[in-house]
Amino acid sequence: MKDMRQEFADTLLEVGMKDNKFIVLVGDISHFKLVQFAKACPGRYYNVGICEPTIVNMAAGLSMVGFHPVVHTIAPFIVERSYEQIKLDFCYQNVGGNIITVGSAFDYSTLGCTHHCYVDFALLKPLPNTQIVFPASPVELNVLFKQSYDNGRLNYFRVPKYSHEQVFEPDQLKVGKGIMVREGSSVTIVVTGPQLKTALRSVVELKAINIDPEIIYIHTIKPFDQKIVLESVNKTKRVLVIEEHSMYGGMGDEVMRATKGISGIKYAFISLKDDFIRDYGTYEELCDLLGFSVKGIVSKIRSELI
Amino acid sequence: MNNDLRKKIVDMICKAGEGHIPSAFSIIDIIAFLYDKYLKFDPKKTDWEERDYFILSKGHGCAALYVVLEKHGFITQKDLNNKSKIGGILGGHPDRTKVPGAEASTGSLGHGIVTALGIALGLKIRGKKNKVIALVGDGECNEGTIWETALVASNLKLGNLCVIVDNNGSAAQVLPMEKFPKKWEAFGWEAHEIDGHNQKKIEEVFKKIKFDLCSKPKVIVANTIKGKGVSFMETHGPWHYKIPNQEELKCVYKELEE
Repeated sequence: MKDMRQEFADTLLEVGMKDNKFIVLVGDISHFKLVQFAKACPGRYYNVGICEPTIVNMAAGLSMVGFHPVVHTIAPFIVERSYEQIKLDFCYQNVGGNIITVGSAFDYSTLGCTHHCYVDFALLKPLPNTQIVFPASPVELNVLFKQSYDNGRLNYFRVPKYSHEQVFEPDQLKVGKGIMVREGSSVTIVVTGPQLKTALRSVVELKAINIDPEIIYIHTIKPFDQKIVLESVNKTKRVLVIEEHSMYGGMGDEVMRATKGISGIKYAFISLKDDFIRDYGTYEELCDLLGFSVKGIVSKIRSELI
Repeated sequence: MNNDLRKKIVDMICKAGEGHIPSAFSIIDIIAFLYDKYLKFDPKKTDWEERDYFILSKGHGCAALYVVLEKHGFITQKDLNNKSKIGGILGGHPDRTKVPGAEASTGSLGHGIVTALGIALGLKIRGKKNKVIALVGDGECNEGTIWETALVASNLKLGNLCVIVDNNGSAAQVLPMEKFPKKWEAFGWEAHEIDGHNQKKIEEVFKKIKFDLCSKPKVIVANTIKGKGVSFMETHGPWHYKIPNQEELKCVYKELEE
């Protein structure tokens, strides 16, 4: 499967070749990946410098004169450092544009909190005129980006380093629509991002203890596909939400909102606790430590849902 | 001196019950000149592609922009009368989604100038000759994004961008920043310094500067007086966001009529 960062570069090139209003601004990152774009789209690639709030704000200015801008750098430097620019220069003024980040959640596992970003859904969801996509496979990034990059909204694409490795067909992918990955009967697992891989790996162990999980994959956090979740939870009455995001303000909230009319539901969540991640190690090691593992899923379901 | 416009500012702000009179007075002479004699625009077609762009980055000075927009037919006297009221289109900071002719919604300092930077870059890429002018406050120049913009605009050779600094000295009382023109020059800008209330000097400087797509961006440091035109409002003080009472209002109008 193609590397996510390569797909990012390829998708930008594909769109840039077709749309002469498409422009890319980066904050001194990924420039080697984007050399081809710069050559193919002269005058529409800018490695502006290390000044993220200015990059975000100037992208809004470019949008005002007809361009479809992409701003790209490491997630926290855009979402957290430049939050006011996103709010005021894009959302408040009804200006469209795109943010594509690297460094989803704790992908930069050894670099500490400065390079982590796991409150992004919580920050961006409340801003009007935003769309939030977490494409965790190359085809998702390509298809969902092309579907929406010029839709007049502020589109946030949280691009992870690692894919969930499932292969979806392009016609399965639509912004705002969840995907039924596995039908089951006893527990609904709603999962986003690379953790789909972990959820699918847990099926064998869950079936061994007579749990038949239904697995729903979510690539669009906003607008959230309430219908697919509601229908499944109506049937199972038990739901586990898995997301590489803070326990506050992420997809868990959306699942609860979607199912608020159903009585007697049991909820469980595998997400990030109310604390900073202060450990180092590989991405996989941090996943194990934080409960994003088959063991973590089985344990959570056994202890909280049955 | 644009005292008729100053009176209109006071009238509008008194009716609204809120507003920044002195901040508007320090920039009214510059904004009036730009719309009277310099910028290309069409009030009936605010999205006209050939228009010049003026962005009031110090959004709290918006009363000056509003009265000028009214003078040139973008908005009406009724709009001025309804400032800061339910159903009105004019607030204490401009909202581009509501105010015809307002190119950017500003209010949080250090944003409008960066929007202007993006607009100037976009126009340069498209080979368009529209002028882009942003007006910032001297206090706004405390913001980091001002100097990020100074660096980026210079690096991109945005000769179609001009920044006016309303150097009314208000912020200098808190965080002094001396030799403004030199600072901009150090970032690679073509700097000019004028008396921001002298119509002749304002006209001269705009005759002198040449907008193009591949030279230094321009800065005009306009030395102004906060509250200019009403002696007891001048310079920084309690008048920053104060509404005159009836007695004070009489004095304001008296001074503006002299």
